[in-house]
Amino acid sequence: MFDAVIRNFGFLMGGLGVTFQLAVFALLGGIVLGMLVGLARLSKKPWIYYPVTAYVNFLRNIPLILVIFWFYFVMPILVGRSIDPFPSAVISFIVFEATYFGEIFRAGYQTISTDLVNASYSTGLTYWQTARYITIPIAFRRMLPSLITQSIVTFQDTSLAYVIGLRELVRRVSIVDNMEVRSIELYGFAALVYLVVCYLGSRLSRHFEEKSRKANIL
Amino acid sequence: MIEIKKINKWFGDFHVLKDIDETIQRGQTVVICGPSGSGKSTLLRCINGLEPYQEGEIIVDGTSLNDPKVNLYKLRQKIGMVFQRFELYPHMTALENITLAPMKVLKWPREKAEAKAKELLARVGIPDKADAYPANLSGGQQQRVAIARALAMEPEYMMFDEPTSALDPEMIKEVLDVMIDLAKGGMTMLVVTHEMGFAREVADEIIFMDEGRIVERGTYEDFFNNPKTDRARAFLDQILD
Repeated sequence: MFDAVIRNFGFLMGGLGVTFQLAVFALLGGIVLGMLVGLARLSKKPWIYYPVTAYVNFLRNIPLILVIFWFYFVMPILVGRSIDPFPSAVISFIVFEATYFGEIFRAGYQTISTDLVNASYSTGLTYWQTARYITIPIAFRRMLPSLITQSIVTFQDTSLAYVIGLRELVRRVSIVDNMEVRSIELYGFAALVYLVVCYLGSRLSRHFEEKSRKANIL
Repeated sequence: MIEIKKINKWFGDFHVLKDIDETIQRGQTVVICGPSGSGKSTLLRCINGLEPYQEGEIIVDGTSLNDPKVNLYKLRQKIGMVFQRFELYPHMTALENITLAPMKVLKWPREKAEAKAKELLARVGIPDKADAYPANLSGGQQQRVAIARALAMEPEYMMFDEPTSALDPEMIKEVLDVMIDLAKGGMTMLVVTHEMGFAREVADEIIFMDEGRIVERGTYEDFFNNPKTDRARAFLDQILD
């Protein structure tokens, strides 16, 4: 019964490839920016704290799909020419997901005692060296399960990029469906693909959690 | 030489340090004691710029912390610090804890930093623990790694903030022995502690603080045998119980 899928398998898997590409860029950018956002959210400098807090609160209170849309239609006005769906989606996702990763990192940084940071400063390390070698790595390890959970959510969210015409998995399913008219099996197949990838992701998360607990590192 | 001149510090409305005056000469060991909340730890944090103060001046080897252009990172390199709860980096081995600052701050090559770290681990009596993570070390061992970490920067001063008060009794001695060795080796030390045995052995001066003020100072004999204030007497009675 999956013959419509089999006939278009290459095309559909190409869509999964686009989904993965978008997810990888969104995650790399979102996590790196999130590390900085988390630091800024704990900053004692008002000119850093307030703008970043406003940015986080603003984006966390609007749906991602609007951010994707808005960015895609506003960017051409700002840069003076139309912009491809893929880079537009990548930037929207980074800017949006960084607020979520930022809050995870902030919680991670807050598990670190003031004196641990003072210990680092007392050896002459600077703020950025302390962030790079002490606070970020510790927060990253302590927050790994939450980071993986949010990464899985991000992976699922990439399907929203279909609204700006990005030919990722869901978009390609709908293209095939327009020709084959086999909605149940085609969308069922897409769901199965997301399920498998996300299930593997959550198993990976549990594996790392167990491992760091056994290693007794944190 | 560390000169502390009329330091006053507030946490909001709370006056933590009141007119603190003190001079620490090279090679001296000064012990600071007093009830908790008396401002001892805060004073140490002011000296290496981890906490700001509102009034007075602290001068380390001629460099004033009041100077807006003071390079705190440079200043801290010559003042090692050891904390009550060890504060080792949990994601690094003992060796990595020690080599981080020499490699990143002093730009030493890895081989040099590791050689120094191993030498220091031997000096504090745990040469076999280089590859252990903090979670797998006892409290006494962790504190000795923390001392080695501070010493790796080859500081001219060492500050200890209640280094043995989080330790089980059987581990206190192993840490104090390392500190006594350091003091006898000529290190300039500022030690917040209630370990009177340590004070007797190496302290050139004892300062007793209460409610943010230095209420007594003198040699161990002075302080221990004839405390001048009731507060100091009450404090001594308490810790000698």
